[in-house]
Amino acid sequence: MLTCISGGRVIDPANGRDGIGDLWFEDGRIVPPPQGRQADARYDGRGKIVMAGGIDIHSHIAGSNVNTARLLLPEQHRAAAPRPAATPLSNAGWSTFQTGCLYAAMGFTTVVEPAVAPHYALHAHLELADIPIIDKAMLVVLGNDDFLLRLLRDREDGAAVRDYVAWVVQASRALGVKAINPGGAAAFKENVRSLSLDDVVPSYGVSSRQITKALQRAVTDLGIPHPLHVHCNNLGLAGNADTAAATIAAAEGLPLHLAHLQFYGYGTEGKRRFSSAAARLAEAVNATPHVTVDVGQVMFGQTVTISSDVLRQFNARGQGRPRKWLIFDGDANGGGVVPYQYKAEGYYGALQWAVGLELFLLIDDPWRVFFTTDHPNGAPFTSYPDILALLMDRELRAEWIARMPPAAMEMTTLPAITRCYTLNEVATMTRAAPARLLGLKDRGHLGPGAVADIAVYTEQKDVAQMFRAASLVFKDGELVVRDGDVLHYRWGKALTVRPSSDPAMMRRIAPYYADRYGVAPDLFAVPAEAIGRADPFEQVPCAA
Amino acid sequence: MQHAWIDGGPAPFDAAIERAAQLLQASRLPLFAGLDTDVAGVRAAIALAERTGGVVDHMDSDAMLRDIAVMREAGMMVTVPSEACLRADCVLVVGDALAADPAVRERLLGSGAARQVYWLCPGRGAGQKDAAAVKRVGRDPRELPALLAALRARLAGRPIGPAPLPLKQIDALAAELRGARFGVAVWAAAQLDAVVIEMLCGLVADLNASTRFTGLPLADPAARAVIEVCGWMTGFPVRTGFNRGYPEHDPWTYDAVRLVESGESDCAVWIASTRDAAPPWQRNVPTIALVGDEEAVPQAAVRIAVGRPGRDHDAVTGYDNAGTLVAVPASAPSARPPVATVLAAIAAATNGGAWPC
Repeated sequence: MLTCISGGRVIDPANGRDGIGDLWFEDGRIVPPPQGRQADARYDGRGKIVMAGGIDIHSHIAGSNVNTARLLLPEQHRAAAPRPAATPLSNAGWSTFQTGCLYAAMGFTTVVEPAVAPHYALHAHLELADIPIIDKAMLVVLGNDDFLLRLLRDREDGAAVRDYVAWVVQASRALGVKAINPGGAAAFKENVRSLSLDDVVPSYGVSSRQITKALQRAVTDLGIPHPLHVHCNNLGLAGNADTAAATIAAAEGLPLHLAHLQFYGYGTEGKRRFSSAAARLAEAVNATPHVTVDVGQVMFGQTVTISSDVLRQFNARGQGRPRKWLIFDGDANGGGVVPYQYKAEGYYGALQWAVGLELFLLIDDPWRVFFTTDHPNGAPFTSYPDILALLMDRELRAEWIARMPPAAMEMTTLPAITRCYTLNEVATMTRAAPARLLGLKDRGHLGPGAVADIAVYTEQKDVAQMFRAASLVFKDGELVVRDGDVLHYRWGKALTVRPSSDPAMMRRIAPYYADRYGVAPDLFAVPAEAIGRADPFEQVPCAA
Repeated sequence: MQHAWIDGGPAPFDAAIERAAQLLQASRLPLFAGLDTDVAGVRAAIALAERTGGVVDHMDSDAMLRDIAVMREAGMMVTVPSEACLRADCVLVVGDALAADPAVRERLLGSGAARQVYWLCPGRGAGQKDAAAVKRVGRDPRELPALLAALRARLAGRPIGPAPLPLKQIDALAAELRGARFGVAVWAAAQLDAVVIEMLCGLVADLNASTRFTGLPLADPAARAVIEVCGWMTGFPVRTGFNRGYPEHDPWTYDAVRLVESGESDCAVWIASTRDAAPPWQRNVPTIALVGDEEAVPQAAVRIAVGRPGRDHDAVTGYDNAGTLVAVPASAPSARPPVATVLAAIAAATNGGAWPC
């Protein structure tokens, strides 16, 4: 069915397009304006903004730690909405069904779950498969696993690490690799209570830096498009801007992505010895072109922190509100779920909020700073529209700042920043750049051949409302949202890479598993037939 | 091969499905209980409960909701059996925890396990011989609340009153636990009540002030898997009802036995694909039995012999050693329909047609 959205403002930074015009698509793909054919379906785009569907590169939406959060906090997601006929269970709070619908309503069409332990891959993919509308992907967690740490302890060469990483990525059906406080979880099992970049995991004699570098090299050598995605050491601690800066420097010319940089944006100035170091970090990011970051913006209210940084979550458990938590010493990374409240009237919450905005506004290149709240750790993803409004509207931002504790604002540069994001920059940051970062050549843009994942917003002064309820959303060319309401379910795919691994590695892994776990490694495989949807996976090419 | 019966008499499969759909649609509050099935089966059960405004409960709910209650009211530190077996130099077994899991018992307590094991109030578990050095502390499980409280108090250096054991013995045990490098407390909620579990979890948390200690709650992995599925689909664990059009969770309201005995639930789907278990209620209620044992629940209005996960058909279910979900291929594939297939057929036969998920 040939479809045309006519007369909208089409913003497609990847193709240098920003202007009034038509957008044509057919059979799930964008097509050039056809010669001598009429559209079978036409949508009036006048007064609308037309962008590619949004891509979220870091949001905790699926897997065992996310599920634990659901079970830990039933009182926070009581349902009450009446039964929706076309989209059953989309009224179930925090359910996978609701997640997909809420993202689609905002015009997002691809979301990445950033932290899945290798043995929990099947569970995560089953949850992802129950998220409607959107395409999804996951990053597999390495860096605290015994097999890798042994390779490094025994000074094995890069080839062994590379083959092992390739096997894990393939077997778990991941899109990339995540390292979370590398060495931290392993060290915590040995009663180590803090770990910085050059600290060593006692029983292996390997440092966090060594683990990070080994994974970075492997990911780069394997041609996995997405750079190693790193959750640095010392999350949340005053003065940890040093850790972030050191990690940025550790990239040493190879691509590296730092997650939720806001949580590392802290100096030690002022009487509370907790200040913003965002300006310094932004400068470091600006000066290091092969490094990318996502922000992890904080917004106010009740949320829950879900993280595989078990060491951090254990140390932070006393600050949780309400006062209950789960700490999981898993095989390798494990996890921790700690509820949390960010208070606008409190110094610390206000400062964290400001740090995130400073990072957005002081990092110059919208191709290298990514739009996240580290959902739900900084805020639920449903706050995205409000954050976009703050980035685009300086006066709104000033109103918020005026309500914050002055003592906190004084420890940041935020009040002085006048920059506003343009729609073009928003489209870059939330569409074109994520697609490029993840190696997804067929999305994040609206050029011919692209997947027809399209978000249409009604131009209005209230930017938050504009982004909260999309006027129209198309997924693979099919209309799925109208005026913020999901019309019916359809099911996306999980995007994966399959880097090649030397079969000799299996001859090492099989006996390792037999000895350590008493099972064959393929017990933890993710067979497509187990997912219960037609064609649940789509492969993304690795670089040659 | 006969797979279906209506009112005890052999019937064609399609007729049984029709009858089941009729019963469900006529029901005011259908109950989907037992839930001894694989991930696909419980998905289908939740979908059908959502469609028919029914309730989901698992036959192990009483016990599992104890652990969940402690987690969501107080918090918990946990690990998985593989980690415990690899790492623990000190194991504190509480109550008769290992009866249901001989595999974990063997790995934790068996020969070659270089660790000290303390077994509090083992009860009947005391009988078996174990290779590891197992120190039994206390005997009667009814002493557990007082014993754990005394132990926790002495760990914190607080005075205690009369306790089930002499002060010296309690202090000695406290010192041993504090001296562990990686300790694991093991329990099975089926054997304990929530207050005891909470005290034990508090003890574990306290020990982490100076050393590493964690907990290992044991439960049937297939039942655990059901909780996971229910969690991601509805936001809640089992004992969740859809009678108001949205999922509500309440361990008392949505207790299968209470619902049937009170007459609130007027139709029950009993799912027992692997266990030889009959519905635990007394009252007669029209029952649709999906059972692995084809002679089970003979009084059912509709009975269907279903496949056993991982045996008659491929399945995804829980794997205890890693606390996760795994795909298990059919070891002896058969024509018996999986629970998921039966429930999908029933859904398709109801007014709403196939569920869009």
